[in-house]
Amino acid sequence: MALRWWCWRRGCSWRPAVRSPRPGRPGCAGLLGSRAASDTRAQMPYFSLVKTLTSVFPNVHSISQFPQRTPAVCCCSQTQSGEQYTDPFKLGWRDLKGLYEDIRKELCITTKELKDMSEYYFDGKGKAFRPIIVVLMARACNIHHNNSRDMQANQRSVALIAEMIHTASLVHDDVIDDASSRRGKHTVNKIWGEKKAVLAGDLILSAASIVLARIGNTAVTSILTQVIEDLVRGEFLQLGSKENENERFAHYLEKTFKKTASLIANSCKAVSVLSCPDPVVHEIAYQYGKNIGIAFQLIDDVLDFTSCSDQMGKPTSADLKLGLATGPVLFACQQFPEMNAMIMRRFSLPGDVDRARQYVLQSDGVQQTTYLAQQYCHEAVREIRKLRASTERDALIQLSESVLTRDK
Amino acid sequence: MSLRQLLLRLSGYLGASGPPHRPWWCSRSPDTISSVGSWRGRCSRSPAHWNQVVSEAEKIVGYPASFMSLRCLLSDELSNIAMQVRKLVGTQHPLLSTARGLVHDSRHNLQLRGLVVLLISKAAGPSADNSPCQNYDMVSGIYSCQRSLAEITELIHTALLVHRGIVNLSELQSSDGPLKDMQFGNKIAILSGDFLLANACNGLALLQNTKVSELIASALMDLVQGVYQENSASDEEHSITDDIGMSTWKEQTFLSHCALLAKSCQAAMELAKHDAEVQDMAFQYGKHMAMSHKINSDLQPFIKDKTSDSKTFNLNSAPVVLHQEFLGRDVWIRQIGEAQEKGRLNYTKLRETIKAGKGVTSAIDLCRYHGNKALEALESFPPSEARSALENIVFAVTRFS
Repeated sequence: MALRWWCWRRGCSWRPAVRSPRPGRPGCAGLLGSRAASDTRAQMPYFSLVKTLTSVFPNVHSISQFPQRTPAVCCCSQTQSGEQYTDPFKLGWRDLKGLYEDIRKELCITTKELKDMSEYYFDGKGKAFRPIIVVLMARACNIHHNNSRDMQANQRSVALIAEMIHTASLVHDDVIDDASSRRGKHTVNKIWGEKKAVLAGDLILSAASIVLARIGNTAVTSILTQVIEDLVRGEFLQLGSKENENERFAHYLEKTFKKTASLIANSCKAVSVLSCPDPVVHEIAYQYGKNIGIAFQLIDDVLDFTSCSDQMGKPTSADLKLGLATGPVLFACQQFPEMNAMIMRRFSLPGDVDRARQYVLQSDGVQQTTYLAQQYCHEAVREIRKLRASTERDALIQLSESVLTRDK
Repeated sequence: MSLRQLLLRLSGYLGASGPPHRPWWCSRSPDTISSVGSWRGRCSRSPAHWNQVVSEAEKIVGYPASFMSLRCLLSDELSNIAMQVRKLVGTQHPLLSTARGLVHDSRHNLQLRGLVVLLISKAAGPSADNSPCQNYDMVSGIYSCQRSLAEITELIHTALLVHRGIVNLSELQSSDGPLKDMQFGNKIAILSGDFLLANACNGLALLQNTKVSELIASALMDLVQGVYQENSASDEEHSITDDIGMSTWKEQTFLSHCALLAKSCQAAMELAKHDAEVQDMAFQYGKHMAMSHKINSDLQPFIKDKTSDSKTFNLNSAPVVLHQEFLGRDVWIRQIGEAQEKGRLNYTKLRETIKAGKGVTSAIDLCRYHGNKALEALESFPPSEARSALENIVFAVTRFS
């Protein structure tokens, strides 16, 4: 974990901020050598970060020493159960065989073209990140509750629903953002046009609602319906922007929750409700999902700057081009206040996107965001550890690590 | 802020004054059906106009059936939407006319589906096995969950109306205005539609009845498919129409115009714990009434007297499809060819051709056939004001003079 963090830091083109001169030693010494300089730099621009973090993580101290601290804060695979180091994805996929076929069965549509469009993303090439979390959480909760090694069919349905709702929102988002590629292929709107793409999204959503209703559990229905509302609200949040720097960050986190974390959090909660009646367990599942979800999105925002298009399967700097100021940008703005004007005009002037990108890469916005993601992962792990030890619970712990170290 | 004030403000934003011109593909209630026709004498009064039928019905269900819930209206998102739609004033994006139409309908209480759901709820009354519903509160003979359902139905209908108005960016021409206006309009249309759908889903979840949720979700799926098929059909504007026979037409129309109302009526019965037979009768009423309503709407371009109305009509509407079926595809293609002038279709000429054939009269017959089926379904409900109102709606929709 620490090694990977290290290599990654060398890889990114991090330059010392202009404001505080320091010995110009290249990457290697950067970590330790710049500690002193970072401290002085730490107080000022991080104040809003500190405020946010200390409210979220009241137990976290000495944030200003983050470069030193980070390698120690490691939510890596300290498994308790002593079982083999299993890949959480492989473990989850055991229950998800046939996931995409089952989803396609739900999309029973008469018109061939519409059927093709709706099935377009259910081709088995997605990460299936959400279904994996759902089934692992289901099993972890079942074991915690009564040592049951079974998984209910309804719980598996929740995995389907989560993936379907996610995909429906992707289809609509791509039309809204006028995106041309996703997962390495053309988007639905580019192939079939915007009108049909929107209807395809509606169709997938309605199919998901049918599956949801069929579970026959009103609590689960309410929980997952909340997701649909949150997704829309998240998009609306993205439409607006805040002028005040502090408000911006809170706004960003709220949007991140609504657009990404809500689905994961509520799916986890839904399977826990199906698993057992204990509200403590429901809350654990929800908190795990929420924290993992936010971390996931934060890293996604980081990768938009550090990765290249081929790996991601979609173009990078996408957020900037959409006028969105994500984590790395907001942090970078602390160091480079000249970014404020660009943020306010949503990077609309020619050259804005590139300049902003340069500022971000020169600043420690990426590191800050990653650090924040680590904190959220840490919190997720802290929550899930409250469940009884099991392979699946440990897999969920490992999953949080893979959230941080993924490169696409 | 009251509902009325909010609607007035919305219409001010949108520059809406009188009834807007609606594109033919919007299914709308006929503004006025031609004057006093013969009355079938089942009711003490004889309403001459559609509006009168509707206002009678509203009294019966207890309040004006304007279905935008306060929660929805007073939310931040809706004022956000209203603001964004305002930016579209002056552009050519379809969302603007959809929005104007909606505001107009709201002010004039023309939200048919919700009204029918309320009426049928009242007509059916409480079920024989009363116990499960004792916790529900009833106002004017309708349970609050049924009122909720009526609202949900309208939300879904409106959401798809909004989503129908998305524009294909690759097909834009310079006359449509700047690309970014259309992109922006699309964005707001998608978000507004999604917002309405999310509210509908929320409302369904609150009903705490998974059978109803499943039924309405399947109605939504039907509606989306129906709208999709409509879209594909309307892509072929010039000359070649789909070779659809009446049976295909009926299937497509069921999906796009009937499924939502039919299943909502059925769901309203389920909420009151009525048995399968009652649910089926409600379904049949909804289905047949919606069908005759659609056929009526299709017939409007052919029965209005004003020939100066040189508006286009849908080449996949009932009279035209029937006309084509009578004459055979080849003759129809030839007639279309004859109505072409300089590569554009002369709708006035084509209209005359169709009126000269059997399409219009058989469409009227079909409309009355479905009207009768709807009335038959009503016979199993006990006589009441609400039932009469439902009958009056059928009469209004099947009247052509």
